[in-house]
Amino acid sequence: MRIPYYPGCTLYTKAKPLNTSLHACFSAIGIELAELPHWYCCGTTFTLARDNRMSLIAPLRILAKAQQENGKVLVPCSICYNTLKRANYMLNEDIETLDILNEHLEESYDGNEIVLHPLEFFRENEELIKSKVKKNLKDLKVGCYYGCLLLRPQQEIQFDDAESPTIFENFVSLIGATPIDFPLKVECCGSYLVVTSPDAALEASYKLLRNAQGNGVDAVVTSCPLCYYNLDALQEKMAKAHPGFKQIPIFYFSQILAIALGVEEKNLGLEQNKVSPYEILKEYNLL
Amino acid sequence: MSKLLIDKDFKRRIEEISDQKLSDCYQCGRCTAGCPFANFMDAPPNQVIRFMQLGLKDDVLDSQGPWLCAACLVCQTRCPRGVDIPRLMEAVRAIHLRAKEGLIDVSEIDKEFLLDAPPLALMSAFSKYTY
Repeated sequence: MRIPYYPGCTLYTKAKPLNTSLHACFSAIGIELAELPHWYCCGTTFTLARDNRMSLIAPLRILAKAQQENGKVLVPCSICYNTLKRANYMLNEDIETLDILNEHLEESYDGNEIVLHPLEFFRENEELIKSKVKKNLKDLKVGCYYGCLLLRPQQEIQFDDAESPTIFENFVSLIGATPIDFPLKVECCGSYLVVTSPDAALEASYKLLRNAQGNGVDAVVTSCPLCYYNLDALQEKMAKAHPGFKQIPIFYFSQILAIALGVEEKNLGLEQNKVSPYEILKEYNLL
Repeated sequence: MSKLLIDKDFKRRIEEISDQKLSDCYQCGRCTAGCPFANFMDAPPNQVIRFMQLGLKDDVLDSQGPWLCAACLVCQTRCPRGVDIPRLMEAVRAIHLRAKEGLIDVSEIDKEFLLDAPPLALMSAFSKYTY
């Protein structure tokens, strides 16, 4: 079985560990990730101005390219997923805009492509994943951080309930680790404010990590390379601003799945983590 | 609040760009209560909307609220009147940026940060703060 795959720009640069570990996971479960032959930036972020049709061209081109492969495309980056899914929803609602934009494309798009996140794929293939788990992650207490883009707006994304989602926790249970709930799992990490208002992003990320720690997590898991950056790379500054803050490792969901599936350490991409994940993994005999 | 200059064209422009109806908001304040960045804003979301409802163009355009909106959509999820508040904030940014005001100056971004940050942090910021 093969599934069309759209990695997006960041998975080729700063979020390589997400790309490498996800490829290793799919190879371990016997599915080929077939990267789209032609792809571009998704045009992040989805435009909220209704008169800005220009911003829809980038996601539309990707959807049109993906449509030539199969009815589904797998998108692991939360921002790409949100941008493509919202553009898809909008173009289905607004046929006039779709027609106008199609006139500018080499190929035309009919609005029927399904944009799928790996966590949705795992939800649909629970038995397959379960049968391939090799390591016991029971002791690892994981806080599942959803962030914004996988959940909102709920009507358009339809990934899970926007206020109290469980798909991520179910995934963590499925691979044998222990999910820990924390209230701020759906709150914003500060996103792109890290570029323009770094203090706001730092405080938002600090607040949610503290909330996760207060509920007893060993590590926080996410799917978004920007959340990952804010939660991982900003911890040094958090420690300076808030003496006594204890740093905590951050993983991509694909990294803990890869660990559970017994993927070789060199394909986990752990060396890029700013906060070392090795101590906790060694403590639980997972490396 | 500065001088009361009611501008109906401005109201209409905000409604056009955002595709939202300002009179739908009944000022319950739930958007501000849930906003993770409201405490960094001079005027929080419900107040910016009140300025819009009153047609107070200068107050809307001078407010820093829209620039601290991360489009996280918590307010949109919780608004009991179905107002898509992040679209209203985007409309304010769009009005500024289309007049070439408030653009990011890339040369002012810390070099070390530029090399370290993931491309989508920069792309997202550019799509919100440039035009």
